[in-house]
Amino acid sequence: MTERYTLTFQPGGVVVADAPRGETILRAAMLADLHINASCGGSGSCGKCRVKIVSGEVESERSAKLSDDEWSEGYRLACRSHIMSDLEVFVPETSRMGNAAVLERESRGDRKGRLLTPAELQSLVTGWSLDPVVKKLCVQMIPPSENDNLNDLARFKKALKDEFGLSNVSIDSIWIRNMPHVLREQDWLVTATVVDTTYGSKVIELESGSHCGEDYSVVMDIGTTTVWGQLLDLGEGVTVAQASRYNKQISYGDDVISRIVFSQKPNGRETLQQAIVDTINEIVDELVTESGIERERISHMVAAGNTTMTCLMLGIDPKYLRMAPYVPPADFIPPVRAVNLGDGIKVGRHVHLHTFPSVASYVGGDIVSGILGSGIFDTEQITLYIDIGTNGEVVIGNKEWLIATSCSAGPAFEGGGIKHGMRATDGAVETVRIDPVTYEPTLLTISDAKPIGICGSGIIDAVAELLKAGVVSQNGKFDVGLPSDRVRTADGSNEYVLVEARYSGTGEDIVITETDIDNLVRAKAAIFAGIMTLLESVALDWTDLEQIYVAGGFGKYLRIDQAQAIGVFPEVDLDIFTFVGNGSLLGARLVSFSKDMLKAAEQVARTMTNIDMSDNPMFMDRYVAAMFLPHTDMKYFPRMEATLAERAAGGR
Amino acid sequence: MTFQAPVETYKGAIRQIDVGGVAVGGESAFPFHSFDGEMPNDPKIAFEVWDIAPDDWSVTLNGVYGDTFGDSVAWAKKVVDEFGADMIYLRLRGTDPNGAARSAADAAATAKAVVAAVDVPVIVIGSGDVERDPEVLKVVAETLGGTKVVIGNAEEDTYRSVGAAAMGYQHSVVAFSPMDVNLAKQLNVLLSQLGLDEGSILMDPTTGALGYGLEYAYTVFERDRLAAFSQNDAKMQMPIIATVGQEAWKAKETKVSEDELPGTGDLVTRGLMWESLTAIALLVAGANIVVLRHPESAALIRKAISSLKGEA
Ligand code: FES
Repeated sequence: MTERYTLTFQPGGVVVADAPRGETILRAAMLADLHINASCGGSGSCGKCRVKIVSGEVESERSAKLSDDEWSEGYRLACRSHIMSDLEVFVPETSRMGNAAVLERESRGDRKGRLLTPAELQSLVTGWSLDPVVKKLCVQMIPPSENDNLNDLARFKKALKDEFGLSNVSIDSIWIRNMPHVLREQDWLVTATVVDTTYGSKVIELESGSHCGEDYSVVMDIGTTTVWGQLLDLGEGVTVAQASRYNKQISYGDDVISRIVFSQKPNGRETLQQAIVDTINEIVDELVTESGIERERISHMVAAGNTTMTCLMLGIDPKYLRMAPYVPPADFIPPVRAVNLGDGIKVGRHVHLHTFPSVASYVGGDIVSGILGSGIFDTEQITLYIDIGTNGEVVIGNKEWLIATSCSAGPAFEGGGIKHGMRATDGAVETVRIDPVTYEPTLLTISDAKPIGICGSGIIDAVAELLKAGVVSQNGKFDVGLPSDRVRTADGSNEYVLVEARYSGTGEDIVITETDIDNLVRAKAAIFAGIMTLLESVALDWTDLEQIYVAGGFGKYLRIDQAQAIGVFPEVDLDIFTFVGNGSLLGARLVSFSKDMLKAAEQVARTMTNIDMSDNPMFMDRYVAAMFLPHTDMKYFPRMEATLAERAAGGR
Repeated sequence: MTFQAPVETYKGAIRQIDVGGVAVGGESAFPFHSFDGEMPNDPKIAFEVWDIAPDDWSVTLNGVYGDTFGDSVAWAKKVVDEFGADMIYLRLRGTDPNGAARSAADAAATAKAVVAAVDVPVIVIGSGDVERDPEVLKVVAETLGGTKVVIGNAEEDTYRSVGAAAMGYQHSVVAFSPMDVNLAKQLNVLLSQLGLDEGSILMDPTTGALGYGLEYAYTVFERDRLAAFSQNDAKMQMPIIATVGQEAWKAKETKVSEDELPGTGDLVTRGLMWESLTAIALLVAGANIVVLRHPESAALIRKAISSLKGEA
């Protein structure tokens, strides 16, 4: 357990409890809604976050932004100072938002929805044991002798039976070919990689010597915009490395429909398959490099993707997915050899890739995986599950029933279609606060690197703040009349300068444009409308929901209250929200760790009913109603209504 | 047992607003549904007047106005004195940058002259060019400062400046939105966020004429009113103005002679029926002001209003 410390900020004596050891002072303060100026995202280059350590211990690096005198007086950069004990920190006037006389913690309330630790995430689903579908077994045989002259294959099979209770084992013929040599190479000690199939166990690889405990798998979330991968240690049941890339298919279209259209062109399907295979290969490369684990030790792959992504990866023609009556080619697709996809995924030829079953053309394996990984398939409580991505998926239900739909949100939540948007990786602005008086922003980036762009949670945060500060109206347009250089018109369109060129890692201003906001509004409107329509289809209201799980590739944080401020969700009690991060990966991990979960995934797919939004006339109306910040109907947004009314009154 | 007709009682009502001394709106149920609620003010008939001579109006209308075209004051007096207009809807079409491109000052002078010449309320509307309207309406608002008028249109792209101009000189505005319930409401929200009093907004939810989207306009008006009545939505309780004449007289059927459209009857009758039918349908759906062009349709509508009220 990381130790937690209490920080007291002066003047004002604001207490921030529970800051983890090693966290920067800036991050701890901002996450607790205490503003300290920070123009460079916490990368140590703007010098605006100066604070004085009154008492306690920090680990801090020397900065050119502080003079020798200041340093010896105890001044430090809040973004470069790691908390090592309880602290008392003085925030000088120049570092306070709006140059306030006393620090005040914003009354956003303490509840921000539940953020889960990795351990908690993994315990969302209980009742399974580590029992992967692919295992490595070390088999020690007694060498043949005159009175024990069993042939090699029979000897190997006998050992499998005696030691592991495996009977009826089948063996890939190529291993039989090499068997005489492999068995003898290290004194009759071999490692067999065995997979459970519907027809019994099958040896898919045979190596001489012991490689037990060197058993890894790669699990992936194949998103329309972003692909995420994790390297898992199947022996220990833990994640070893994680990597992500934009899906290389993006060059052939932003959404599933345009990909399907492209697949119908000459060589289209092959091109798209190769694009995803290339993406996966880059991810595998990074996982292998990052972890230092040999590629040969990967023995299993699991991929969760929407129906179109799954088809394109496997090379299946997706043509009929977009034609009424929207029938997918298959629900359960048997595992395939990874090397057989496109030019081949660069893993051993024995490695099989499992995909998740699909429910319908627009409700795919990724959502089945999410429902599995978040444990909804096993709960009594009426749960709403939302995967916020390019294809926004929404599921309502519990262990007894599940109803699902998808609504095309576009790539805005993943940084796509946003001028300076990027994936949630190093240097992405992920947290934004805007001073309602001076309109100056305060930012944090992922890994406290120099800001180079904005990721999904950063955009949600920024637009929520711009709206609350009155920089943006409810229709998503800038108030260009404000007395701030940050709001400007460039090339005929209005924008807000989030990071000035001198503090950015790109050497250019990082801005949020009206078009960006427009794309975000469309995206969130699709999700809100999808949820509303689905709720209505089962005659439920928001108040009937007992828990809400939010998934999405947002990096570490998604501030639910900020997402509410722009109207992704209504202002229902934050306590019922849980942000689970990448839900599809959660499910894919489980399936890789436990073969029981593979069966559970099939069960989820069978339980789920799909509702098609394209048939639903109410969806469009709900969509237009939601194309406003936060929404045309403020009855779901009493808090924002009050905030906006206050602002309007102040403006008069 | 005697039959008891069911009564709809609503939570909300339309705001009664003051349009240059004339009370508009205030009903607590759909118009003429006196069995459900009150309608304290009759719907009003406004006449369209332009600041320049129109070149695209039906020959039928040229016959009515010919000699006053080009003289906005004479035109306005005619519709008030001869046709009994309740209000003037002064369209500053001449300020269209792709047309006569009159200066804002000239247009405002025309508006001022019209306001001075008649004793009914005047609604001053720009050319509809979103680049030009803010500039023109600002000068109009200023020039007419001290006299309460309605200026418009405030649209999504222009509401800030038009709203600010109205607020600055205590005028009201017409909020003009595409034909959609949500968009209408959004504009009202934006205007009130700006600080404009909700009692100084008229909403124009876009009119569709007979054969050209009337059914859709009807349902949108009706849904606008249901939001006001059933949901008591304060942002939807503004009186509605419907630009009937402008839409109806755009229809081919109001312009083309019987020779070209055999079997469709006399052009003049056809035109005024086109306008009247559009108007009456939208009045029933909830319009508080209909803007008309032909005096005979106005007479018909007036008769229809009084018979719907059970007076005749
Ligand atoms: S130097 Fe710390 S935020 Fe810029």
